[in-house]
Amino acid sequence: MNTQDIDALGLSSGLVFIAIAIAGSLLYSLKLEKDLLIGTLRTFAQLFLMGYILSGVFAFDLEWPVMACFVFMAVFAVWLIRGRAKEHEVHYLMPILAFMTVAYLIVTGFVSGVIVGVKPWWSPRYFITLGGMIIGNSTTAISIALERLFSDLRTRRAEVEMMLTLGADYREASADIIRNAMRAGMIPTINAMMGVGIVFIPGMMTGQILGGADPSMAIRYQIMVMLMLTGSTTLGSLVSVLIARRRSFGKAHELLIRPETTP
Amino acid sequence: MSEPDHFLACTNLRFGYKQGRVVFDRLTISFEAGSFIQIRGASGSGKSTLLRLLSRLEEPDAGAILFHGRPVADYPPPVFRKSICYVQQTPTLIAGTVRDNLLLPFGFRTNRESPKPDDDALQKLLLEFRMDDVALSDHALSLSGGQRQRLCLIRALLLNPDALLLDEPVSALDDESKQSVQEAILTVHRTRGITVLLASHQPFDTQGTPIVSYNITERALVRRNGS
Repeated sequence: MNTQDIDALGLSSGLVFIAIAIAGSLLYSLKLEKDLLIGTLRTFAQLFLMGYILSGVFAFDLEWPVMACFVFMAVFAVWLIRGRAKEHEVHYLMPILAFMTVAYLIVTGFVSGVIVGVKPWWSPRYFITLGGMIIGNSTTAISIALERLFSDLRTRRAEVEMMLTLGADYREASADIIRNAMRAGMIPTINAMMGVGIVFIPGMMTGQILGGADPSMAIRYQIMVMLMLTGSTTLGSLVSVLIARRRSFGKAHELLIRPETTP
Repeated sequence: MSEPDHFLACTNLRFGYKQGRVVFDRLTISFEAGSFIQIRGASGSGKSTLLRLLSRLEEPDAGAILFHGRPVADYPPPVFRKSICYVQQTPTLIAGTVRDNLLLPFGFRTNRESPKPDDDALQKLLLEFRMDDVALSDHALSLSGGQRQRLCLIRALLLNPDALLLDEPVSALDDESKQSVQEAILTVHRTRGITVLLASHQPFDTQGTPIVSYNITERALVRRNGS
């Protein structure tokens, strides 16, 4: 079965949905019109650019452009995390970038080379798409977890310092905050597993079915993707929170995160 | 006559916040063990910052802090901190009972070797600090400001510290609570011989207990006349 192509006219008529969103924003003074317009432009620009790059990488069929794409995605992910976590005094981004690149490279390599069994394991059609899903979902999970971590360290500073003064080390003084941050990062993925196939049909499966694949094969892929994402977002939330927590305390286990009203 | 034990000392201490305000510059001072020391100064002069520096909740930009003649960096931070227990201006308690709060430090690795007090010992301490109307099973967050402050004092005492660093312990209390907390602090010093380093913007009635008093002025500590 061939996929029905979307021509330029069809694609641009999709903008009617953005018009509805902008009308809603105007009607209720949400002031989101500018963000909606920029978001739409970025969606077109980024995805077309990605399409051209992927076509090039697929055509090359060499290992290094695939790895370069992967590292670029990880760098961009860390940039997004930095923006969302809203903590600029503590330096935690480089170790998280190193972790994401190495850990997710291994995870993606394992999924494509061992579970799917592609040869070579870095085959761009699989490696970049699976890697993109892993990095994308983990970025969301890590951002949520870190935002929660920094926010709790700021608002519960007195409690953390009270424990430090009573002989707690930094791990003990922040144990409860760490648990909450890790849970916050993992819950969206767990909720997605609960609702998948009933509340929504995931994007990858939809894409495969629209692309003409047998639904039973699309299901197997989707299960594999859900398991892979649960593992990688858990790993990302846990390790990132631990890295950021260590960087939030100094040598004397003193809390480096400042409340917003520091003298 | 033996030399006084300057258990805690700062040499050439410099500290400023990132926004650029220098709080201390070349501060050199030592505190004698067993004494009752009051640090006075206007709001924002650096009283709390000094106590936070001494308990390593802030690290100085330059200079050193010595504990019994050795740099504080020689001690594991949790061991050092529980020896000179800093009690915050606003009493901080966890959600739970009075007992949960008093026993909280015994869950930390550094304190696991310390004998955990039983209910009788805790009840005795509550009585000693005039909290006879408080039960160990009461919810800690239901206590009054003065009771919370005394509970924090008792919690610190259970760790047998060499000194207590008290940050404005009575500033936010009404007159009645203020008196009960002042009495509790004096009891700690008199009966247990614990060194007290107290930061306060107002005079502290020591009821005859000798006191060493300093004023913070111009980023330095100046000993007050007649003290």
